[in-house]
Amino acid sequence: MGSTLYKKKAPLIIFLAPAFAFLLVFLYYPFIQNVINSVSQITGLGRPAEGLQSPWYANYAQLLADPKLHTALQNTLILIVCTVVFEVGIALVLALLVDSIEKGAQVFRTLYFFPIVISATALGLMFNLIFLYKGGMVNQLLLNLGLIQQAIDWKDSAHFLFTMFSPVMWQYVGFYFVILVTGLNNIPGDLYEAAALDGCDGLRRVRYISLPLLRNVLCTCLVLAITGALKVFDLPWVMFGAGMPQDQGWLTGTYMYDQTFNRGNVDYGSAIAMLIVVLGVILSNLANRVFRPREDIEF
Amino acid sequence: MNSKKMRLHPAALATYLVLIFWACTTVYPFLWVILNSFREKGRIRSDSFSIPLPGSGFTLDNYRTAMERFDFGSAYANSLIVSVTVTAAVVLIAGLAAYGLVRYRFRGRKLLYSLIMAGMMFPVFSTIIPVFRMEAAWHIASTGNRWLSLLSVILPQIAGNLCFAIIVLMGFIQSVPIDLEESAYLDGCNVFQVYFHIIVPTARSSFATVAIFSFLWSYNDLFTQNFFLRFPAEKTITLLLNEISSQAGVNYGLMAASVVIIVIPVLAVYIALQKNIIKGLTAGAIKG
Amino acid sequence: MKKGRFLSLTLACALCASMLAGCGGGGQASSPSAGSAGSADNAASAPAKVELTVVTSYGGDDGNRKNYEAAVKAYEKATGNTVADASATSNEEWKAKVLTDFETGTEPDVLFFFTNADAEPFIQEGKVVDLDTIRAAYPDYASNMKDSMMATAADGKHYAVPSAGFWENMFVNTKVLEDCGVKVPGPDYTWEQFLTDCEAIKAKGYTPIACSLFEVPHYWFEFTLLNNGTLTTQMDVPTVDADGKLVMDQTAEKWINGLNDIKDLYERGFFPANTLTATDAETVQLFAEDEAAFLIDGSWKCGYFSDNYADKLGDYAVAYVPAKGERKATEAIGGISMGYFITQKAWNDPAKQAAAVEFVQHMTSDEVLSTFVTTEVTALKNGASPSGLNSLQQTAADTNANITGVVGAVQDTITSEAKTDLFANVQNVVTGQMTAEEAVASAAALN
Repeated sequence: MGSTLYKKKAPLIIFLAPAFAFLLVFLYYPFIQNVINSVSQITGLGRPAEGLQSPWYANYAQLLADPKLHTALQNTLILIVCTVVFEVGIALVLALLVDSIEKGAQVFRTLYFFPIVISATALGLMFNLIFLYKGGMVNQLLLNLGLIQQAIDWKDSAHFLFTMFSPVMWQYVGFYFVILVTGLNNIPGDLYEAAALDGCDGLRRVRYISLPLLRNVLCTCLVLAITGALKVFDLPWVMFGAGMPQDQGWLTGTYMYDQTFNRGNVDYGSAIAMLIVVLGVILSNLANRVFRPREDIEF
Repeated sequence: MNSKKMRLHPAALATYLVLIFWACTTVYPFLWVILNSFREKGRIRSDSFSIPLPGSGFTLDNYRTAMERFDFGSAYANSLIVSVTVTAAVVLIAGLAAYGLVRYRFRGRKLLYSLIMAGMMFPVFSTIIPVFRMEAAWHIASTGNRWLSLLSVILPQIAGNLCFAIIVLMGFIQSVPIDLEESAYLDGCNVFQVYFHIIVPTARSSFATVAIFSFLWSYNDLFTQNFFLRFPAEKTITLLLNEISSQAGVNYGLMAASVVIIVIPVLAVYIALQKNIIKGLTAGAIKG
Repeated sequence: MKKGRFLSLTLACALCASMLAGCGGGGQASSPSAGSAGSADNAASAPAKVELTVVTSYGGDDGNRKNYEAAVKAYEKATGNTVADASATSNEEWKAKVLTDFETGTEPDVLFFFTNADAEPFIQEGKVVDLDTIRAAYPDYASNMKDSMMATAADGKHYAVPSAGFWENMFVNTKVLEDCGVKVPGPDYTWEQFLTDCEAIKAKGYTPIACSLFEVPHYWFEFTLLNNGTLTTQMDVPTVDADGKLVMDQTAEKWINGLNDIKDLYERGFFPANTLTATDAETVQLFAEDEAAFLIDGSWKCGYFSDNYADKLGDYAVAYVPAKGERKATEAIGGISMGYFITQKAWNDPAKQAAAVEFVQHMTSDEVLSTFVTTEVTALKNGASPSGLNSLQQTAADTNANITGVVGAVQDTITSEAKTDLFANVQNVVTGQMTAEEAVASAAALN
């Protein structure tokens, strides 16, 4: 990257200052408060701290011993794997397919976006209707087709992972699809033209042009998938609430919310938030290591 | 897209089948909601699949009730003010930052990148109370003044969307060929001209994508809005939906109608943006 | 470059459009206050018009929302003052918001809030005015209330003026009972009879008890506690010793037995099949639509059924919760848990003081409270005089006439952490993943 254009560093301030000013005031400063809260003694939301925990790391020690948190971590890790494999995977396949067709690409792009447009609250209500025990869409369908004799409780221990994850997956495929399609759009058309002249077509075009050039965007998707899964909250919360079924359904996001807002356990909630952030940074750095984004793609 | 024509051989057919299948899964639930928003109360649980016809369960009551009970006009206005401002600010600020982070090599770059990554992880639940205290001290939050209250939501929402936007834009800007910028520089452009005349147009669809997501997340974000906006004149469309659904209990028809009311404008915005901005940009992109 | 310009143009247009829309909305919003200013000017000895900020829990799906809004309108009309109302649905998030407001100095002028331990933070900070201080200046303040029924804060003073109270009791679906040949429970209803009835109802294919043990186990918990103790011991809470171990006294045993009674009902299959995953709304719907027979719930459900199932009210009745041990079936849970506070902020503002006092007096007058109270507990000296009861409310009134004892809900006296923990563990107790003793010990440690 030997560009002379970027040798003078003065303009950098103007590029970075507005963003980091905002982040500092509205994100980092509040989060430092959160760090302090995690080692303080706080009896309720909106109440000031009453001195430090004794010992100060008491909340972090509790993190290690808390079985519900372990459940939450386990579920969240499963969610991350599913997110990467299914969300990004399906989205990539769909994006490549849409990119390869001529007619109707526009229509598909619009349709695939539908699920993201609807707010998670509304989607939660919708999926609650779909998976309702008595008269829900799925149970109505299966009963009418004679596939089951008894309505299935889709939220019980045997089914909750499917019921919780499939709406999240379904919603976010569209999200990664849009990002990947945008990435494909950014690949200069004459590259394909040149490749076509060389007889490079179909799958080989995907293998040797699209995928390598998508690498940076894919890497972004991976980071987004990991961070997204670690703090996913609203859809599972609307559908499952606090740890349904029987404390098996916790995710790190829902568990942190429950501790902070329902139980007024602000200091412990802050410690969980710390854990989420640390895990997120570690995992996304790991992803970046493995799928190192290339900064010097030559055309 | 590219100039190579594809004939409808089996591979293309399979492609379309897969695409159509997924399209069905995304459209069907939404159609189901629209259908049931026209269904009479109490019929959803027993019969949610048929098409409601006049005389067999069709009704406009759900929409009438929703419209009667709630002031959608002012709520739409509030939502648009908040979301459009947030979107514009995020695209502008994040674009500059992403560009600076991608193109410049300087000490602390890795650190800033990690900070942004960490910022994306902060759960809003852990930052909201400090932010509220701060804004109350500045006399922005909870004053009863509609414009200040909207501002008090806009500021944290901008910050909340920035990290995501920077990360995504960085990914896209990295893919912009650097020789374009070089040649512009040799032609006598300064960095800002390069940014606005080369980067922004080339990565236009990326900016549009980020704009769309910022808009959506701001529009659909319930938690921040719920915490900062209290008085009826300040309520946004998402808060109305929340209120309706908490009042509706098991009145699923009313809920479905409210979902439709809240979703229509966003779909309209998306389709408009999609048609005008994203469409067919690739061919001319490299020429700026 | 053309397309670049187009993007910025679109954005600019969108911005302009939103500004215009915003201005339009603003204009509309300001017109009502202009109107009320006019009416204040017309009033004879008009003191300056005041805008009062008010926060209550009468938002969202509250059964008294309409009554509340009508009462506020009447106040605005009578005084020319305007009320900036920020009412919401009561939940933990709302409580946190209210408490944060006191911390940041953005509290409202008048607050309708819980009068138990939840209010202590701002009472101890001296952010609200006590009744004696107000009465020194306004001797008539809350003179229509029985002082004995007002909540007493930790410092021994009264702060809040009580509004409508509540009762909790058993609703029955008479249509289901009839179909199963089960009699509507009377004042002498026993636990044994109840178990027999449930078996009969279950055999007929109905769900005996409509209850989401996931969301609202507390209704059954309060009554199974009462069944294992007495009215006077209902408010006792188990404690832990210095080592954090549960002290096994009568209170602890009572709580354990109470939880085990719920477990027994669960094991007999009397709750809905999905009681551990269903929402409260879902199970109430079972009851409302003739699929379940019994429902323990609060007085607010009368309003809910009247609003949502007006044509089926004849199929529901308020009866008695089956009794065991020393308890009689005519003993129930009830009380007043919320009231109106005036904040120091409004009290010290000479412009607002009178308006705030007037507002609370208006909202708690005999006349206004009678629209809130149909069959609930009230602190009014003269009692409430509701304008007429529907058939469901009539059955509630008939039951209330036979009630021999009322006691508050013990869940209102423990910390929210202990409460959430206890009720979240009910599902683990009934499924045997935890013993009742462990659940009680865990909650007691958090109290």
